[in-house]
Amino acid sequence: MIFLSVAGITKRFGGVVANRNISFDVAAGELVGIIGPNGAGKSTLFEVITGFYRPETGEVRLQGQRLTGLSPDRVSRQGVARTFQKLRPFQGMTVLGNVTVGALQKSHDVKQARKEAQEILERVGLADKADAYARTLSTGQRKRLELARALATRPRLLLLDEVTGGVDQGSIPGLVSLVQDLHRAGITLLVIEHNMRVITAVAQRIVALYLGEVIADGPTEAVTRDRRVVEAYLGQAYAER
Amino acid sequence: MRGHWPALVVFGLAALAPFFVRDAFLLDSLILILIWGTLSAAWNVAGGYAGQVSLGHSAFFGIGAYSAALLATRWDLSPWLGLMVGALLSTGAGLIIGYLSNRLRGPYFVLATIALSQVLLIVASRWRGFTEGSEGIPVPFRPGFWTLGFADKATWVYIGLGAALVLYLIQRHLEGSRTGHQLAAIREDEDAAQSLGIASRRLKVMAVAGSAALASVCGTLWAQYVGFVDPFYVFSVDLSVRFALGAIIGGTGTALGPFLGSFLITTLETYLRATFAGIGAGLVGIYLIIYGLLLIAVVRFVPQGLAGWVRDFARRR
Repeated sequence: MIFLSVAGITKRFGGVVANRNISFDVAAGELVGIIGPNGAGKSTLFEVITGFYRPETGEVRLQGQRLTGLSPDRVSRQGVARTFQKLRPFQGMTVLGNVTVGALQKSHDVKQARKEAQEILERVGLADKADAYARTLSTGQRKRLELARALATRPRLLLLDEVTGGVDQGSIPGLVSLVQDLHRAGITLLVIEHNMRVITAVAQRIVALYLGEVIADGPTEAVTRDRRVVEAYLGQAYAER
Repeated sequence: MRGHWPALVVFGLAALAPFFVRDAFLLDSLILILIWGTLSAAWNVAGGYAGQVSLGHSAFFGIGAYSAALLATRWDLSPWLGLMVGALLSTGAGLIIGYLSNRLRGPYFVLATIALSQVLLIVASRWRGFTEGSEGIPVPFRPGFWTLGFADKATWVYIGLGAALVLYLIQRHLEGSRTGHQLAAIREDEDAAQSLGIASRRLKVMAVAGSAALASVCGTLWAQYVGFVDPFYVFSVDLSVRFALGAIIGGTGTALGPFLGSFLITTLETYLRATFAGIGAGLVGIYLIIYGLLLIAVVRFVPQGLAGWVRDFARRR
């Protein structure tokens, strides 16, 4: 059975078509990169998959179960976790508190959830910050926190929206290896990324969007050389060289 | 008992007061501090823990006060029954307001809560045939437990204390429980909370309805203690602000805060009013100005609330 199926998604905002008939499948355990210039519709697609937006047409299914039409919290309980492009940690809570909230989805016991949260913080390298308030963290640490919080829900599918965006150069390798670790641990990932060096390092397959449409879908090597993708990113002049 | 000692001190002192204090005025102040504190705590369940700030909680308070008063005067029924009827009606009103909180966020939700209390004010003050309209209802005093009639102030101290303890424990439970963590997440960022699988809409409605029912119970107790229900007082925005203010000054989202806030507000108000009572007619309102300025000072210098200030102080030692 197809693990994740995105079939014919169209999402409009007034006259703007943010997603036009987007379709692709993802196999279990795959790590798929989603690329495209600003305004290509990447984040909109994430919002549609996670239930925050309802598409005009099309549907998303996870292991045959329809996600489209479910509220965001129910999508999450189906095993889909996400991070936000604009980070949204619970500012007034501690780092451990943030992750505990995630863990409480599956464990109903607060003590147990806190223990799980502690383990996840160790996994993402934030254990020494457990008692710090989320608002005191650096951007790189906040990215890790969002990742930890999402992981705590024990997802089958994890959607990462620009994990390395706005992070200082020094923190990028650590975040990249963290994503690779998660992939090795068997989680299926969809990763939006602007940094081409990052995406080529982590993804075996890339879906490229441009103006709301899929313009390329295939192995990383092929998509990054695809004429239309290069055009979309750099303009025609570069593609003609 | 870890973390409970400040509460033990506060409630312990209140419990001992009737043994040492005979002055009726002081005992009356203590009873009101406890009742207003309990109301601020009930407000805190929705406003502090779940972040659903209401300025219409007098609606639920008034429903509780009227339910018991009307059932007693019209049908000669026990105020305990009125207490339960009021709590049920308030739960219903809370469900409606809670449902609205899913449609209206932030200031629009606040306006909706104010509107509810004002609609009830109009109903209570105009429906003369049933509520006696703006004249209000004197609550019949019949001594006894079943009729909630106690002439003895000490008894009322313990009734107020019992209600306060129940609310304190409910709040402490919220802090440590799964639901409490989820409510806090909704308060901090509702979208992020939903993305973690929290059914925020349902939880918010539950928090607001629960808070409403608790406020209603306090309304019944207050009406039985004071003995008179005046629509312009029980449904007033002033009263709603008082509930919110007690929790904000004491520390939103803390279990003891509403009681500390209520203590400060009520003593300040009572003391200032008494002090400036004899002043010339032109300066009658001056105590309100001083009261307002002092509250501004508290919010300015102790923005985290009294409970947070006590906690920081305890830590520093």
